[in-house]
Amino acid sequence: MDSRVQAAAYRGVTIDSVPASDTITGPSGGPTTRDGYAVSCFPGSAYCTFFRPGPEVDGAPATLAADLSVWGLGVPGLAFHAKARAGTTLGDPWPGTEPALQLLEGYAQYAMQRFTVQLGRQTVASRLGFTGFDGGAVTFRGANQRLEVRAYGGWGLWRGSVLPVTSPALNPLNEFRPPERTLVAGGGAGWTSPRFDLTVLYQREVDPSVDYFASELAAVTAVVRVVPGVQVSGGADYNLAEGLWGSAEGTLAYAARNGRINASATVRRYRPRFDLWTIWGAFSPVPYTAVDGSFAVTPVRPLLLRATGEYYTFANTETSTPLVNVESQGWRFSWDATYTPTPLIMVQGGYRADFGPGASSRGFDGSATYMVGERLAVGVQGSTLDRPLELRFDESSVVTYGVSARYRPAPRLRIELDANQYVEDRKRPDAAAFDWDQLRVSARVVFSLASHDELRGLPPAVRQMPAAPRSAP
Amino acid sequence: MRPPLAPALIALVLLGPGAAAQQPSPHFDHYKHRQLFPSCATCHREPAEGEGALYPDPAACAGCHNGTVLPQVVWRPPEGPRRTNLRFDHALVAMMIPAGQTKPPTCLVCHGQEGGGWMAVQRVNMKQCLGCHGVTTDHLAAPDTLCAVCHLALPEAQALTRADIATFPVPPSHSEAGWVGGHGHARAATTGGAAVAASCATCHARDFCMTCHVDAPDRPPIQALAPDPRSTAIVVHLKAPASHQDAAFLSTHGATARRAPAECATCHTQESCVTCHMGTARVAAALPRRGSGRGVGAVITRRPPAFHGASFTTGHKEMAAATPALCAGCHVRDDCLTCHRPDAGSAPAYHPVNFLARHPAAAYARETSCSDCHNVAGFCQTCHASAGLASSGPLQSNYHDANRSFSAGHGQAARQSLETCVACHVERDCLTCHSALGGRRFDPHGPGFDAEQLKRKNPQMCTVCHGTAIPTP
Repeated sequence: MDSRVQAAAYRGVTIDSVPASDTITGPSGGPTTRDGYAVSCFPGSAYCTFFRPGPEVDGAPATLAADLSVWGLGVPGLAFHAKARAGTTLGDPWPGTEPALQLLEGYAQYAMQRFTVQLGRQTVASRLGFTGFDGGAVTFRGANQRLEVRAYGGWGLWRGSVLPVTSPALNPLNEFRPPERTLVAGGGAGWTSPRFDLTVLYQREVDPSVDYFASELAAVTAVVRVVPGVQVSGGADYNLAEGLWGSAEGTLAYAARNGRINASATVRRYRPRFDLWTIWGAFSPVPYTAVDGSFAVTPVRPLLLRATGEYYTFANTETSTPLVNVESQGWRFSWDATYTPTPLIMVQGGYRADFGPGASSRGFDGSATYMVGERLAVGVQGSTLDRPLELRFDESSVVTYGVSARYRPAPRLRIELDANQYVEDRKRPDAAAFDWDQLRVSARVVFSLASHDELRGLPPAVRQMPAAPRSAP
Repeated sequence: MRPPLAPALIALVLLGPGAAAQQPSPHFDHYKHRQLFPSCATCHREPAEGEGALYPDPAACAGCHNGTVLPQVVWRPPEGPRRTNLRFDHALVAMMIPAGQTKPPTCLVCHGQEGGGWMAVQRVNMKQCLGCHGVTTDHLAAPDTLCAVCHLALPEAQALTRADIATFPVPPSHSEAGWVGGHGHARAATTGGAAVAASCATCHARDFCMTCHVDAPDRPPIQALAPDPRSTAIVVHLKAPASHQDAAFLSTHGATARRAPAECATCHTQESCVTCHMGTARVAAALPRRGSGRGVGAVITRRPPAFHGASFTTGHKEMAAATPALCAGCHVRDDCLTCHRPDAGSAPAYHPVNFLARHPAAAYARETSCSDCHNVAGFCQTCHASAGLASSGPLQSNYHDANRSFSAGHGQAARQSLETCVACHVERDCLTCHSALGGRRFDPHGPGFDAEQLKRKNPQMCTVCHGTAIPTP
């Protein structure tokens, strides 16, 4: 069980209006309110609109997530899994806390040497994303374990959510939605060998209220291990519903035998896709093509250096916008270093820059963690960020600094505390600029009803496995 | 009458390495007393009188070492059983009549140093022993059939301590190439027709074999040895075979394991496999489970393969899609769901600290596919709405005020970043202008738009703008 509570405040904007007759000409020559807010006046309208700083929202979201697995029921291969989350807010309304109880997964599984059957709420992971549904899935495996065939189907959950598309919680702006849950069906086959892997996938989603497609996709992915340490991988998906190639990528990766050098070069294309019950596909979103590379080296054992970079450019949008010129290409770059002189000390620092359409950002971040004994870890962290927007006058800068502590008083219990001061400055050439400084505090408690050491029936090697890095204090 | 010297001399040299530790005084220096004693029998009795009678009377020493003539010495004959694994007993000397002779050998035949003169003695002249038994090799290279003539099996030599066993000399055969493998010590263990070779049983017991052999219960030669925990005093370290050093071994060992699981079963139990293959324990079915009577064997450390480079967290998409079976070898669903789940925003380790502040840059150009994990409506819109960023009525304001003509010239930005647009806007915002039924009737269709395809898959989306009079492409 994993519980968290966080105290955080944010401040957005709120729309306001002023009679056109009350506006004046500001320093830049445009209309403003008398107190200095730049306004937009539509021709013929008696009112002009503007955005002023919004109210302070003090949120305190609290969540409790629970994972449960049950096996050893007398039938070899039979198990039950459930993963659920309860959420609420102890302060102002907070996004994502409705509905209060959400079932992420909950299914029964019967697994044998050659096949696995799952029944209940589950998700299927593939290059098409995570597909959630309430239904069943069957997986067959070949005798040599190289061939695997899967089929699944059920009532769908909306993409990226554990709620169906009919849920009011997923319609905050009152958009058009199908009146019934969609039906999901899909399948795929994969072949794995020491040198070559191949997977093909197919998935469709149907709106049963009209019996039309919500989506229909196919994909192929392959990996070739050329020689030890060198690997070529790639894949593409095809949008059968719209008759368009979707996202695709190809990667050449190298990993040194001693694990001290990793490098990769990728050419990829990204094209968004939308459900056919929306009209967004008719607006013809264009893909971008990117070339990126990454490099990581461990020159000496306690030091890890990493760098990544990417350049991308959008396809021709075939639009004519003489009055508006927006970026159509961008680049990203980052580097970071991790230094672990002893198992008790870790120092990390890095820089990241992202310049492209819509928004850009750049900044440093760093942290240092020290293990005080086996149960307590304390750390300090800080970062800087400059984030100019392209489509709105807003150039924010944020400096953060804070402390953190991770404490494991008992093998079953883990407590985490963080406190960070945010010093934010939002720059605008009118009165809408404001500073937004705040202290954010978060607390997390993780309690295991049964720890690894107590799980009966698991092999000793599993019970003795060290905790994964993500759960280390 | 003075006690005979010979038996004492013999006893002293045969008592073994630990004999001195039982005595308050150092070994008797025979050579230093060579001019004092004319005969072994001066101090030692006849061998025929038994082992216990071989030691001289301590009072005999005090005849000279009385503190007046010579300094006093303290010496006592050892007590308890002999710390040795020899079957030899001096009572047998009377029967040891070499061929062609009529009398047993004198003391110096077995204990004298060649060319060393009177009272230059050693523990035993091994060459003499072997010569009488017809052996021409070195002691430790003697035929297997002769070991048991002189030596007890280790479990029978109960007087030996772990320290004694740890100092056993190592036979030259143990240093030969291939000794560790099945064609080395395994073949030697079955030499001679017995269940286990006497040469093994002289120095080793079952516990020693179990240091490495997890298949000990399945190996008759090992089971033929009696258990004896003292045998682990001889320390051995399990070393991975040369094949395991191959860089491709991690990806190819599965085929080897399927072809000849018995080879793996020497050192590996099922626990070895499930340390990594925790999600597919069936791959270990051919190996024994860890349990009593089996050695610990190889202890596997679960670590990521070399191709999990430093950037693998963000670049594993293709591999995960192409080879889910390969992933499943080491990973379970929970590993994926840590990041890839609908509430992934709260999951640590995927997005870096302070990502919320800089997410516009990553979201505008879709650094990754946000919607794979985040539902646009439930995740983006709800948060943007609470910050005053979502469209909440007729489009009258100009939030994007970096260009006052943005509303009229947003086409390029929209087709490049449509997923970002829909994080704040809904369809009716766009239908104000982009509808064939009213408004300004701007055509939104762009490159790649296949009207016929979309009409065939879901004509409902066409009717939103075209009504029932969907134009024929």
